[in-house]
Amino acid sequence: MSSKKLRNPIIAAGVALLFVLAFDAERALGHKEKHTPDQLKAFEEAFMEEVKTGDLLFHGDAATEKRLDVKLSNTGFACAMCHPFTSDTHPHEFPKFQEQINKFATLRDMINWCIEKPNEGEKIDPDGEAMKALETYIYWSNKGSRLDPGRH
Amino acid sequence: MSDLESLRREMDRTLRPAGERPDGSTMMTRRVFLHKSAIYGASAAACGLFPCISTIEMAFAQGGAAFTFAWLSDTHLYPKELNSRFVEKTVRAVKEIQAMSPPADFLIFGGDLAQLGDPVELRLGAELLSTLAIKKVFIPGEHDWYLDMGATYSKMFGESPWTFDHKGVRFIGLDTVSRARDFWTSRKMSDKERMGHMATLDGTLGGDWAAVGSDGLKYLNSKLSDWPKDKPVVIFTHNPLYEYYPPWNFWVRDWKQVHEIVRPYGNVTNIHGHTHQVLYNEIGKMRSIGMLATSWPWPYAPTGVPKLTRPMVRADPGDHFDGVGWAAHTMTSAARVNYEYKMWRKDIFATARDDSGTGDNRNQVLTPRIADRP
Repeated sequence: MSSKKLRNPIIAAGVALLFVLAFDAERALGHKEKHTPDQLKAFEEAFMEEVKTGDLLFHGDAATEKRLDVKLSNTGFACAMCHPFTSDTHPHEFPKFQEQINKFATLRDMINWCIEKPNEGEKIDPDGEAMKALETYIYWSNKGSRLDPGRH
Repeated sequence: MSDLESLRREMDRTLRPAGERPDGSTMMTRRVFLHKSAIYGASAAACGLFPCISTIEMAFAQGGAAFTFAWLSDTHLYPKELNSRFVEKTVRAVKEIQAMSPPADFLIFGGDLAQLGDPVELRLGAELLSTLAIKKVFIPGEHDWYLDMGATYSKMFGESPWTFDHKGVRFIGLDTVSRARDFWTSRKMSDKERMGHMATLDGTLGGDWAAVGSDGLKYLNSKLSDWPKDKPVVIFTHNPLYEYYPPWNFWVRDWKQVHEIVRPYGNVTNIHGHTHQVLYNEIGKMRSIGMLATSWPWPYAPTGVPKLTRPMVRADPGDHFDGVGWAAHTMTSAARVNYEYKMWRKDIFATARDDSGTGDNRNQVLTPRIADRP
């Protein structure tokens, strides 16, 4: 390949980059602006709202189940009865092969297994609000745990 | 070293004269030696058989006859229409206790017969236990108590504390559950709401509810004062009489006073429920042994598991007969007490770190719950 043939595409790419930077600089760099304290507070509040909802579901709060239209247990059993402080839920170990399910599983898979088997409840939408809240509470409770995916 | 561990060591140094163990004449048996060696990682495969007997020796009254008693606790019964599994397991335990040969001299029911203190649940428990022909004695659990502050429970199963002497052993049953600080009146809670908070192990409103209480301590002191210091004493409690993990009330808040009272006595064994797991501890000259639940196993607490405990195996959550059961205690004429966990699956103790209820959690750091904080 001659040096002339190589030079033209490089020049073209350079011009295109300058074009993007010139016309889209505000959007491209927007995320680098400092967050305001109000923004950070709002993010934290949104997160903690999920934690609290998940905590209530995890502890068998009937009103929260009703609001989110889920039935996590039909035996009186709540998640927290086997997992106080979410102990032994081990979110930091997922994904992993989960022998009870006999497949490679995510935390959401395991949450649904616990709902269906020990709790004899009704499986929930894996992307639904209740699942997000349960997952958030479990992760928040284990925020000091060390990531160890795959460990049984 | 954690503050709790430092405190335990200091208590132990204060309460245990140099060279003494919980019973001055106690010699560890081979089975306990295996138990001890497992703590330090040696193989304990010999204990993998069902049932695994952990044997300890304690001084027995001269001329005492051999006898056995059974411990059953933490059945956590709901109305049977809601939860038949807990009924099934209670029935199984009762049948096995009834079939013991030689028969047990008595049954101690160690609390949490009901899940939410409902008279329906307590009546169901009484009905299931009524098929047992042997003597039965009861101490309350918090789940039996806080719907009506023990009114139904006490009427049906009698008041605590109590004491009786049996074949050379003084047995004392204490109430460790009825002294929660009042968090409900100012919040205008209904009885059911109060019960709900007290029935939540990791709840925050109940606080440090477990205690022997000043009246209980006085009672304990008076019942020991006329008992020879070298003769065996067994104290039954729902909660352990030492500090294991206060956030779940795996303790009594006045455990130090308890230890001061039992200090002069050389042969004191505390048998407790509430923790739903295999536990063993010694502080001063008192040993504490944790019993299984029939309902479900609790995980070991994030901190504070006594170093003398050989952890039970991780239970399979898909098998509701795993990690649960009852216990038989045999006092032999050869001056031994055998306590035998009757767990309903073949493995009781973990033989590998990854299968252990404590070793499995080496990367886990937990945060207390938040939604019920005041």
